[in-house]
Amino acid sequence: MTLLLQQIVLGLLVGGVYVAVAVGFSLVWGILNIVNLAHGAMIITGAYLTWWLFATYHLDPFLSLPVVAVVLFAFGYLLQRVLVNRVIRAPLFFTLLLTFGVNLVLVNLLLLLFKSDFRSVTPAYSGSGIGIGGVQVPYIRLAALAVALLVAVAVAVLLNRTRTGAAIQAVGADRDAARLVGIDLRHVYALTFAIGAACAGIAGALISTTQAITPTAGEPYTLQAFVVVVLGGLGRVGATVVGGLLFGLIETLGQTMVPGLGAGWANAIAFAILVLVLVVRPQGLMGLGRPQ
Amino acid sequence: MSFSIAPTAEGRRLRRLLLLIFLIALVLVLLAPLTSTDQADTMGLPELVDRAQLRILTTIAMFVVLASAWNLVGGLTGYGSFGNVAFFGLGAYTCAVVVDTHRLHLPLAMGIALAPVVPAAFAVLVGLPLLRLRGHYFAIATLGTAVAVGEVVKNIEFLGGATGLFPPILRRADLLFLYLMVAAAAIAVIVTRLVLRSRFGYGLIAIRENEDAAQVIGVNTTAHKVVAFAIAAALSGLAGGIFALWNSFIDQSLGFSLDFNIQMILMAVLGGAGTLFGPVLGAVVLELLIQVLAGRSDVAVYAQIGLGLLLAITVLFVPRGIVDFLGGSSRLSWAHLRRSLRETGV
Repeated sequence: MTLLLQQIVLGLLVGGVYVAVAVGFSLVWGILNIVNLAHGAMIITGAYLTWWLFATYHLDPFLSLPVVAVVLFAFGYLLQRVLVNRVIRAPLFFTLLLTFGVNLVLVNLLLLLFKSDFRSVTPAYSGSGIGIGGVQVPYIRLAALAVALLVAVAVAVLLNRTRTGAAIQAVGADRDAARLVGIDLRHVYALTFAIGAACAGIAGALISTTQAITPTAGEPYTLQAFVVVVLGGLGRVGATVVGGLLFGLIETLGQTMVPGLGAGWANAIAFAILVLVLVVRPQGLMGLGRPQ
Repeated sequence: MSFSIAPTAEGRRLRRLLLLIFLIALVLVLLAPLTSTDQADTMGLPELVDRAQLRILTTIAMFVVLASAWNLVGGLTGYGSFGNVAFFGLGAYTCAVVVDTHRLHLPLAMGIALAPVVPAAFAVLVGLPLLRLRGHYFAIATLGTAVAVGEVVKNIEFLGGATGLFPPILRRADLLFLYLMVAAAAIAVIVTRLVLRSRFGYGLIAIRENEDAAQVIGVNTTAHKVVAFAIAAALSGLAGGIFALWNSFIDQSLGFSLDFNIQMILMAVLGGAGTLFGPVLGAVVLELLIQVLAGRSDVAVYAQIGLGLLLAITVLFVPRGIVDFLGGSSRLSWAHLRRSLRETGV
């Protein structure tokens, strides 16, 4: 019983990271209709930035979060404004190819800058945690979960309670109508992508505190973001949160509780779920309407 | 924006000329490796092609198959598959298991013959549910399928597990594999041509342009899509089977390589998606480029960066592919490049 409880807690904590990984991805996909294949690379960029600040200036990873977010925000804004905006009306496939190209460039620039050694951010408190009735809760993962949920809430508030958010949602709903009422499409697109990038940066910062990073480690995160968004459903921040936590739970429980399956099956499980959800319920568990 | 290309009379002449030049070049390139045989050696002919170049030629032929196969689904039918490498991998594994001395231990020809069958059957099986999805959802579902199949294969001991499989090494068979792969490439091009000129092919194009309308005028969209998917799978599987024997080693990262996956797509789009020779041209150009850039391992990182930039440039400036400039409807000019930017941007 304690083992099951421990696994559930661990699953939820792992899920917290997935929420952070998927929030920005979901926003960009939902509003801009872009599946950003460079999302994982942007996450790793955030992770390296955190590591660099930690290694050179001994800056605590949670204190450097705003810096990482701002840098990635600026990068995302420029990328969308200069590059992605130019193919936004092309067939879906072209944005996939373009962002894949960006992914290649980013990953290899990171390889040039940081080499392929494993790095990790290890503040003094990284090993400690609290035990509640035999269930261990590591502080860092708990903090990561809290930050992830905070980011999700912030994005939701931004989208639903501010003028900028209204503009973003309007653009997502109908590009031409949004332009008619005087919304600057290029700016709003860039802004949306920038917010997505900032979220990716924060996710990267969280990841750097819980596992070792290397420039090529980003790809799985792009794929996991897919799974989470598809699982929860596109178009609502709440759906992404549910999808992320659920995915963390399924993955953790699947590896440890199902006999015959081990850590080697993690990806197989994830993608089996992905394909299954897509086929059975393409709009996700709590998504809005049927996707086209 | 559609991919259709309607050449003018002048364009058609130019295209015929280019095709002729291409064919002559092809014949020369295919005959040159014969100078490396023993017979040519005893006749005192100079050796025109070394082993490394043979390898490059075979790789190009392999990507002609993969890009052409992808083109049937991604270019013609408009279903941007991101998981065709699953078929390549399944074909490679089928062949490897069939010929492996510790497994089925059947003749090599049997391995190559069965390599297209298993992926095609798999394509029908997963195509029925997957091809109901559209756009990004289809792309992701196919990518997910490819990764999942690779991961499952890696976890099955009979299929070599994480170690992989080792088909018997054939000595001095470089030429054999080159011509096998070229034959597969020829089959892929001929199949594409047959499809393009058939009622079936027009059905696929109708689906790409407007699936609902296609259905209304009586195209059995499900059957069309699944058959196209299965043909693409069979071709990719054939290439995979030959690759497994040629390489005499296959594992998950090789058989289900996401690099191959993206390269075949890039080649088809770079050359011209939806056209007959676009994927061929794309495969030749891009593979040569990759080989030139990646020839030295110390510049591999820069090669990858170059590849990424090339992707961006292709997507931004030549969305219809290189073929479009060779007697197609477009002329290579600044005005055209600017126009294609304006067409797709905000």
